[in-house]
Amino acid sequence: MAEETHMPESIKPLRKRKSGHKKGNKAKKKQKQFQGIKERVKIDPKMKKFLRKKARDYNSDDEEEDESAHGIGDEKVSLHDNDKQDFGIEVEGPENEDEDDEIQPGITKFSEGCRAFRIAFMSIMKKSVSDDSLGPVLSGHEKLVAEKLAEEDAERKVKREAKKEKQLVGEKGHVKPANYLDSHEKFLIGVATKGVVKLFNAVNKAQNAQKGLDPSRTKDAKIIKKRRKEAYFSELGKTPASDSNAKVHKSSGPVDSEGPSWAPLRDNYMLTNSKLKDWDKMPDKVVADDFGKMSEDSDSDD
Amino acid sequence: MARFRSKRRKVSMKPAVKKNQGNIDHVTGDKIPKSFVFSRGKLPSLLKQLQMDLRKLMLPYTALNLREKKRNNLRDFLNVSGPMGVTHFLILSKTETAPYLRVARTPQGPTLTFKIHEYSLAQDVAQSQLRPRCPQDLFKNPPLIVLSGFGSGEQHLKLTTIMFQNIFPAIDINTVKLASCQRIVLLSYNKDTKLIDFRHYSIRLQPVGVSRRIRKFVQNHQVPDLRSLQDVSDFVTKAGYGSESEADDEAATVTLVSDLGRVNRASTKSAVKLQEIGPRMTLQLIKIEEGLCSGSVIFSEYGVVRDKKMQEENQKNQEEDEDNQGDDDGDDDIEENKEEDEEECV
Repeated sequence: MAEETHMPESIKPLRKRKSGHKKGNKAKKKQKQFQGIKERVKIDPKMKKFLRKKARDYNSDDEEEDESAHGIGDEKVSLHDNDKQDFGIEVEGPENEDEDDEIQPGITKFSEGCRAFRIAFMSIMKKSVSDDSLGPVLSGHEKLVAEKLAEEDAERKVKREAKKEKQLVGEKGHVKPANYLDSHEKFLIGVATKGVVKLFNAVNKAQNAQKGLDPSRTKDAKIIKKRRKEAYFSELGKTPASDSNAKVHKSSGPVDSEGPSWAPLRDNYMLTNSKLKDWDKMPDKVVADDFGKMSEDSDSDD
Repeated sequence: MARFRSKRRKVSMKPAVKKNQGNIDHVTGDKIPKSFVFSRGKLPSLLKQLQMDLRKLMLPYTALNLREKKRNNLRDFLNVSGPMGVTHFLILSKTETAPYLRVARTPQGPTLTFKIHEYSLAQDVAQSQLRPRCPQDLFKNPPLIVLSGFGSGEQHLKLTTIMFQNIFPAIDINTVKLASCQRIVLLSYNKDTKLIDFRHYSIRLQPVGVSRRIRKFVQNHQVPDLRSLQDVSDFVTKAGYGSESEADDEAATVTLVSDLGRVNRASTKSAVKLQEIGPRMTLQLIKIEEGLCSGSVIFSEYGVVRDKKMQEENQKNQEEDEDNQGDDDGDDDIEENKEEDEEECV
């Protein structure tokens, strides 16, 4: 009675579970059980019934059923022992399978591999890695790679040196001037200033003479011409004497010390020259040159 | 073909009017020397900058944006120089030992070769100064040239003098405007070291006897800061500081004929102040050639090499002994050659 009443209850949860669980498994189980029953004739029906129930109970997660089943649990264990593997295994097989399917097989298998991996990993970690630029990964080709790298390095070094040298050659003679004026620079500025002052003074003298006169008027123009001429003569008369002192003038001093430096002022100008006809085609050079000297003279003369 | 075309283009770029007029100064009627500054061979960047500085120095009668190509040879420049009235070449080149500057008269020489012992760029010079000065019209007029220490009477120095005198337009002191004298190029020969110092300065005039404050006030037209003063008269009377200590050198003062700017009035004393604008070079004259970068060597600093050459030549030809001895005669010949050149150039 109790069994029968229990049965539907036990089935219910089973069905519930079936929805979530493998159905095929159950069917297989039953089949196996029946096969087992067929084969085993020795087992009495009472026992068979009990076992079947027991198996069902075991499969169901109902706690009540579990408790009720517990009371007989000992017997079952003894039964298992008695029957040895024929039924126990048959029943337990799926049980184990169930559990294995859920968790066991992966872990158990992995645990062994895990250990090996752990050992290997630990051994790697224990290794002290040298401070090479090469990682431990490349350690297999350590020599080869190191050689190559060294070669590259040397090559780069040579290239760098060559470039530097080239740059140095390019910069040869280049000097950055100092922030202050040293004595030499001051001396040079002094010389240049002297030259400028001389020129300005000469210009002043020359242009003062024609001051206040309008060159467009013929009368004034004549006067200008005259004064200019006088100024020239006075300048040129002084030239040789002042030359010897003037540093700036030293350059042109000896060149034209024999006479008036400007060609037209020489006594024999145009007289000795037979090409009077072509005077306008005269070499411009003489004039240009003399003007060049003029500027030089004016630099040096007061 | 291509080269030929580029040459033509260069020439045609020049306006025809300028071709006729450009060579002659309006006022004095002198021939204006013009120059090309270019390089032979590949230059490092620093020397390229030096080349640009030299072009600026040679302004305004030079080709500032002269483009040279690898395949341009000297003959190309020479061909262009004729129609454009270019009279001087400044050629920069470089060897492993040092950079070189060749100054040549076109079209037939002579050529002076200088070794550049040291050089500083205009940029370097400006960097070394607290207040670099560059007025707008600084490069609008040709510089003055001052040659110092070249008068020792040696022929090659004389030639150098003439060369550099003629590289810039001559100045007529009767017509020149002082306002146009903005720059000065100084070449100073040192007898002991045989080196030529090449400097480039800007000329500035300052009125003498005026306190710095007032000068600045007149120059800048800015409202001065009078906070610390009790009275306006303090501004005028109170002595300045700083550069006031620069005693105005008596030797460096000039009297002006005409007004120069706002500050420097006519018939007042002004002090001449020079400020370097660079480039700066230390040159050594090592060789003078008769032709344009060719021809017989008239002068060589390294006489030994020349002697060796001569010896070789002597071995070949005994007759050349006479030429060897007649050094001075040779130099005289240069002068004549040069004059002839100039005549031809007219």
